[in-house]
Amino acid sequence: MSEPVLQAQDLAVSYGPVQALRGCSLHVGEREAVTVIGANGAGKTTLLRALSNMVPASSGAVRFRGAELGGRATHRLARDGMLHVPEGRGVLGTLSVLENLRLAYDVRPSARSFSVALDDVFACFPRLAERRQQKAGSMSGGEQQMLALSRAIVNQPDVLLIDEPSLGLSPRMVKEAYRILRLFKERGMAILLVEQNVRVALNFAHRAYVLRQGRIVMEGESAALLSDPEVMRHYLGGPVDSAGGEAVS
Amino acid sequence: MIADQIVNGVILGSMYALVALGYTLVFGVLDKLNFAHSEVFMLGGYVGLSWFALGAPLWASVVVAFVICGLLGLFVELVSFRKFTGRDAQITASLSSLAVGIVIVDLVQKHWGSEPVSLPLPVELRTAGFTFMGVTFNWLKLGILGFTLALMAGLHVLVSRTALGRNIRAVADNPTSATLMGVDVKRVNQSTFFIASALAGVAGVLLAMRTGFATSDIGLSFGLKALAIMGIGGMGDLRGAVVGGLLVGLLEGLAFQFGLGRIADIAVWILMIFVLLVRPAGLFGNATARDVRA
Repeated sequence: MSEPVLQAQDLAVSYGPVQALRGCSLHVGEREAVTVIGANGAGKTTLLRALSNMVPASSGAVRFRGAELGGRATHRLARDGMLHVPEGRGVLGTLSVLENLRLAYDVRPSARSFSVALDDVFACFPRLAERRQQKAGSMSGGEQQMLALSRAIVNQPDVLLIDEPSLGLSPRMVKEAYRILRLFKERGMAILLVEQNVRVALNFAHRAYVLRQGRIVMEGESAALLSDPEVMRHYLGGPVDSAGGEAVS
Repeated sequence: MIADQIVNGVILGSMYALVALGYTLVFGVLDKLNFAHSEVFMLGGYVGLSWFALGAPLWASVVVAFVICGLLGLFVELVSFRKFTGRDAQITASLSSLAVGIVIVDLVQKHWGSEPVSLPLPVELRTAGFTFMGVTFNWLKLGILGFTLALMAGLHVLVSRTALGRNIRAVADNPTSATLMGVDVKRVNQSTFFIASALAGVAGVLLAMRTGFATSDIGLSFGLKALAIMGIGGMGDLRGAVVGGLLVGLLEGLAFQFGLGRIADIAVWILMIFVLLVRPAGLFGNATARDVRA
């Protein structure tokens, strides 16, 4: 196998005395869709934040396209090809739909022009074409999720980190979001997906890691995990202890 | 003549607006008040005056004040704002900037003395003008007005149409989301401080030209009024700063016209009390959103 696009080695994060992440190692290969599943508070969001250096890692290393990141500024990662769509989507509500997309395009201009990239977006999400001049914050949650995903269409990252895309969406919108994520997968974008909705995530990804109280406790092919009764037990997880408490989600 | 006072009020108001824009721009982006702003404005008058005294043309004095006050703004950002990033650090940053402002006043008084210093504009420049429909227009005043309006229009275009403006609005909206979209928040903060302070510096020179002198207490009087104008217009709202500035300028002009000069100086504060009672977020303010609106 060629070198992974993104690789974490023994990554650990502490919030004060609370250890949110305790030595996680994972990798995302070229054209690979990988998911991290786990209960609320298991450290999934912290893991993504550590990968994009939004929180400092207390130990461990992250390699992106073969280079050690070593605390590279978060805003530079977006330029270098690591796009992180955070929990709550990270859409800029006071900017128009078009401005949100332009921001995502300008940070990493590609060979194709912005208008070509826009056509691509509107082909995937015709609804956004009607709303292009509208303030992003005035749209429904589902439409904002479309916009959040569209940023990856214009940005064309080497790896997309996406946090709980199904959160707060209607079942129909969840389907819509995953339709687009599948399209990204077919196009060969490497994806690291964090998701509470285990069944949806495992049906989507090639491989999966199970995170529990800040540790990766299981990993494997999605199909194998899907038929493993252990996974459901881990996912349901029982009561979360204080070390992996709610605050570190 | 009432028309004269209206013209004077608009000119004064446009200078208030220029200073208030700086307050509101910084507040919109960083969510913090920059109390050094009014003293950077004050310094602008002295910088322009000194260059003019050295024989530089008026326009060059304006440019020099723009650059030097802009750079001073970068310094204020570095010492009083860079480190204090948390939302709970608002008071820390404001206190620190207040201290920087007081130091600036002290240094100005050490160097230029505490008495006003006059700006020796040639008499013909101060008086040349024309009368139109009974109203006397002075070229210098009109020039000042035209220039401030042009700067405001330029700022509007910058914020609403350019990539830098988009980044400024993105950070004002949500610094974390902006960072994830590749926006360099530090760079945006610096740009914001440079623009805000440079405009204040220009306002300082223009006011010195208009009144004929620079004085070190102008930050506390004129500068603080601009802070009130931000409150009246709506914190973070550029239109609010412009409308508020013109409104207050007009009010003061009219107060003088009707022999209420005593009221003129306090008009802005009374206006702010009433506006905030009726609209706590200011005329154009939005009570929930932290952003920059052009």
